[in-house]
Amino acid sequence: MQFFRFAITRAFLAIFTLILVSLIVFSLMELVPGDCAERYLAFKSSQGGAITIADVEAERVRLGLDRPYMVRWGSWIINAFQGEFGDSCILRLNISELLGQKFWLSLAICLTSLLVAYLIAIPVGIISATSKSPWLNNSLRLVSYLGLALPNFLLALIIMLFSTVYFGDTLTGLFSKEFRDAAWSYDRVIDFLSRAWLPVFILSWSATAFAIQTVRALMSDEVGKLYVTAASARGVSGRRLLWRYPARHSLGPIINSLGFDLNRIFNELPIVALILTLTEAGSLLIEALARSNDQQLAGAIIFMLTASIVAINFITDIILALTDPRVRRSILG
Amino acid sequence: MTDTTANVDVNVNQKLKEAYFTASQGQLIWTRFKKQKAAMVGAGILIVLVLAGFFAPFLTPYDPTIAGRNKDYVNGAPNVPSFCDSNGCSLTPFVYTYNRTRSIKTNFRWVTEIDKDARRYLVFLPEGDQYKFLGMNFKTHLFGVDSGKIHIFGTDSTGKDIYSRTLQAINTSLAVGTIGVFIAFVLALIIGGISGYYGGWIDSVLQMMTDAVRTIPTIPLFMALAAFIPDTWSSETRFLFISIILGFVGWPTLARRVRTHLLTERNQEYVLAAQLCGASAGHVIRRHLLPSFTSYIIVDLIISFPYMVLSETALSFIGLGLKDPVNSLGVMLQNVTSADVLLNYQWYFIPVIFFIILVLAFVFVGDGLRDAADPYADTKK
Repeated sequence: MQFFRFAITRAFLAIFTLILVSLIVFSLMELVPGDCAERYLAFKSSQGGAITIADVEAERVRLGLDRPYMVRWGSWIINAFQGEFGDSCILRLNISELLGQKFWLSLAICLTSLLVAYLIAIPVGIISATSKSPWLNNSLRLVSYLGLALPNFLLALIIMLFSTVYFGDTLTGLFSKEFRDAAWSYDRVIDFLSRAWLPVFILSWSATAFAIQTVRALMSDEVGKLYVTAASARGVSGRRLLWRYPARHSLGPIINSLGFDLNRIFNELPIVALILTLTEAGSLLIEALARSNDQQLAGAIIFMLTASIVAINFITDIILALTDPRVRRSILG
Repeated sequence: MTDTTANVDVNVNQKLKEAYFTASQGQLIWTRFKKQKAAMVGAGILIVLVLAGFFAPFLTPYDPTIAGRNKDYVNGAPNVPSFCDSNGCSLTPFVYTYNRTRSIKTNFRWVTEIDKDARRYLVFLPEGDQYKFLGMNFKTHLFGVDSGKIHIFGTDSTGKDIYSRTLQAINTSLAVGTIGVFIAFVLALIIGGISGYYGGWIDSVLQMMTDAVRTIPTIPLFMALAAFIPDTWSSETRFLFISIILGFVGWPTLARRVRTHLLTERNQEYVLAAQLCGASAGHVIRRHLLPSFTSYIIVDLIISFPYMVLSETALSFIGLGLKDPVNSLGVMLQNVTSADVLLNYQWYFIPVIFFIILVLAFVFVGDGLRDAADPYADTKK
């Protein structure tokens, strides 16, 4: 019962956050100079048609851009919750159709990177927190700092250029040429997997660096605590001691921060996408913003990215509440 | 005799203790910081780089913009000064003269030839391109050559000196970071301050908003903001705008820290005493609460600095940040993105090394400071 109350409170909080975020994103998109009506007609005029002010006004009415700001935001957010974002200003295609598969591909890549990052970071972080050897500690520190100082895009660039020069394959894109527009099939999945490892590797590069630091800090806090001493006094030792006591305690904050880790990976996605010329949501976002100023599409992508972070935060909270009664109590007061 | 030495010892001990107990927060942090080797090395490198960036116009021989270009030495390899060669040695270091020729022999492509017999000797403090420093005009540079030009890091595709550009870029990136951190800091102080001092429902509402801002991925948001920039803006306006954006997106983490500090401090007795004396909220925050954690705030600022620099580079890299006439590290990194560079012009990567060193130095210093600022660091283990 307590758990359901917690879940419902959290769900309301998540929806509230989403609404707030949507207001921010929507306002931003409104601030971009020019609106969709002008863009449509600019396109028409480039095709040779003559355009008057009246045409622009008529187009505004047709798109509903003459309504007050709050009303437009309201209808945008209601549609957004149903997964409907209207048409793109420039490409003049339905956004959810345009995004659909690409968005899920990006999300899959990002989540895999997150998983890889923690698969490496948890054992390495625990070793680095508990080992007494300063040499091991310092070298691990340097490696994890390098993950920060050597930005992903640079790493991607170097790997790509090397593979071009030495293997003759650029490794760019998510699919080989023959599978780019094909329907999903066994061969296409294999082809996808043979190429997706590179973006996953590059995205998890700095995510791992961050994760190692988090795990290390949490573990070194926990290792010194009395319950660990008590457990070792009872004769539990070695790996068993670490896994059963301090590691379990540090797991909570790690699960809690997963949403923000995903946020960080999303930050790097468009840049990596640009270099590796991936065809997914990140590169679509760059195209929407850098080249054509397509506010409708950009807003939809940012909203979807944020929504997935909010969703992850919600899921991790639920998991934590299931495993830890203290969390359940904390929010209900 | 022994009595007096013992007395002196006690005195010294007493003094040390006194020094320890009366030391300010800042002095304590500095004492602990000095013990960390890696952080000290980082701090040394950082100071050198910051000074190099600050005095860039003097330390570099040429104007980093198109005005300082060497049109006879485009995509030129670095000239390494040497003392000796097959023609004998000299006391002053020298580089060779290069000539660009195009003839039927070279298939009508421009080819750079090195003339080993014509030496160019290094000179110190020569007069060169004019530059502005602290509002005054100067012409003297640290070094140059007696004839022609010297490019110790080579030149780029328009003939601009990469060494001059790199130092200038450090300056720009640090300036962007400073403005960004400053704006983020002011916002964080106001929002975190109000939230932490008043607590209650104000705190809850502000926290909810902070969390909402924190969930939006920043780089896509930056990109959306940067897309506003019309192409007609001058490089200075663009520069200012980018710094402001960085500041506006960077505040939530800092605000959280300020709030946590305030929440723990505001229940202390000295705050209650001040309030009972009739001090206003603003006065209590400014005069009593802020000084209690200034040093922690400084540490936080330094930690957040490399992220600002990284964000600037990322933005410039995708072409939404600063652009070519301005020299920032992001712009320099953007220049290495072609296969041509990796195969033929490897010296383009020299600024990348500077960039990595700069970020690493910042991270090491930040980490050392964080450990030093933790009052329980000594008692642990």
